[in-house]
Amino acid sequence: MTKNIVLSILLIALFVFPLVVLFFYALSPGWRYPDLWPTALRLDSLRYVASQRAKLSLSLLSSFQYSLITVLCTFCMCLLPASVFARVEFRGKRILESLALAPALVPAITFSVGIHYFFIKIGAADRLIGIVAVLTIFSYPYMLRSLVAGFLAYGAEYDLCARNLGASLLMRVFRVDIPLLLPSIVAGSTVVFLVAFSEYFLVFLIGGGTVPSYTGYLFPFLNSSERSIASLLTIIFMVIPISLFFTIDRVLEHAYHRWGMTT
Amino acid sequence: MTSRSVILLKLSPLLVPFTVIFTTGVFLTILQSLGLFMPIPFEGRLFSSYAALFRGSWFYVNLGFSLYCAFVSAVLSVVLGTFLSYVIWRLPPGMQKLSVVSKVPLILPHIAVAFIVLMFFARTGYVSSVLNHLGMIESSSDFPAILFGGNGLGIILAYVYKETPFVMLLVTFMLKKYDHRQIETARMLGATKRTTFFRIVLPFLLPVINTSFIILFLYSFGAFDIPFMIGESHPSMLSIQVYNLYFKRDLINRPQAMAILVVMFAFSLVFIYLYSRIAQRIDIRFRKI
Repeated sequence: MTKNIVLSILLIALFVFPLVVLFFYALSPGWRYPDLWPTALRLDSLRYVASQRAKLSLSLLSSFQYSLITVLCTFCMCLLPASVFARVEFRGKRILESLALAPALVPAITFSVGIHYFFIKIGAADRLIGIVAVLTIFSYPYMLRSLVAGFLAYGAEYDLCARNLGASLLMRVFRVDIPLLLPSIVAGSTVVFLVAFSEYFLVFLIGGGTVPSYTGYLFPFLNSSERSIASLLTIIFMVIPISLFFTIDRVLEHAYHRWGMTT
Repeated sequence: MTSRSVILLKLSPLLVPFTVIFTTGVFLTILQSLGLFMPIPFEGRLFSSYAALFRGSWFYVNLGFSLYCAFVSAVLSVVLGTFLSYVIWRLPPGMQKLSVVSKVPLILPHIAVAFIVLMFFARTGYVSSVLNHLGMIESSSDFPAILFGGNGLGIILAYVYKETPFVMLLVTFMLKKYDHRQIETARMLGATKRTTFFRIVLPFLLPVINTSFIILFLYSFGAFDIPFMIGESHPSMLSIQVYNLYFKRDLINRPQAMAILVVMFAFSLVFIYLYSRIAQRIDIRFRKI
């Protein structure tokens, strides 16, 4: 029993305590070394962030936009290939499957710096489309793995049955595959969204500073002595994905309930 | 249509972007490392950027530093992540929910994790404040230089903090499929807690441990965000050396930056190949036992 308590304290110290410190830093710009607790709480950084809300929300929305488009792109890119990898046996499948995972394994900097020059030539650099393209290539392996696992979790017979009953391809995708795959889609999308939303270097390289991003907005603050504002902005950064995931969770629960499916 | 072309057609949504962006990107990196396809004409010979790279000493120092940081942080994350998920898995179900707090670093971007490390381990950081209050150090200058000390400790700390939850996620997923009764059987047959973990549970987890080690090692080896924020300049990670050559110096240095990237790419491929071969062999030996 004491061991369990020690473990709980360890987990909280490792993962919750840093957030508590961030929170107090955000509320106490005057916190100086070596005080263990802030002496006075002030709302200066809150006021500053509120005064910057136009710039802040622009960068947040932009990050949100390219992350969501990236999720959508990875999904469209991986759905059919995942069904092939999960259902069909063919020569060279293992090599092709491991090759397809390469962009997530080899350092992203190796291909993104090379493609940067190509993007400048075709006019995709410094634009949303360039960022989405690079983020998609960098993060689709997570979607692919997750969808392959999803396809393996239920038999091809579902599809066959729907086909025998006369369902068209589109109908089978939307009425059979996607509902059954939903847990894997959500898992894959979550990872892809987080990877895209929190990426700093690729967005900075391809976007060249002209496409606003929240990480790009955040970086100068993190690197400055304005610890209070930096802490507050980091907390805001966390709130967005958490509330998004929470909402999705609720919506899904509702949807499953309506379809009579259990998770 | 033959079934083969149907397969190719169905794979094309993946293969086309893969070829157009990933393969082209790697290809252009290789070409530019040779001085071809440059924005300005390159005057050196075909392999002169490689020759210059291998002649200087900074490349070897930085390569060694990158390997060291990546290796130490990946090993620590894997060990800590496996250990934490195992002990959490042994907790009563109600308390297992506590592990949700470990998701925090997964959500935080790398640059924010670097910021947290900065807040805690800088000379005037939180850990230093605590030590000061405990009377262990007199002033902030007595606190050891964990960050920017030239030993990569700050980078390693940040990676371990960011990556341990990733290992926990994968290992916990694997443990959910594990049959508890195997452990009880081993204990009934007289195995100690330690033997049970090392001989029964660990071999079962080995594949996922290997996968996460490969991912984390290569990621920290080539990533940019964390060393850009809290890394030292000499020695630096290879990605930072590439950044300095590519963005801060003349265009004439670009082939050398690209040559570093080609070496990193080749190293990653060889590493993946060798590691999976070795892991496979170890796995077979475990199965024999």
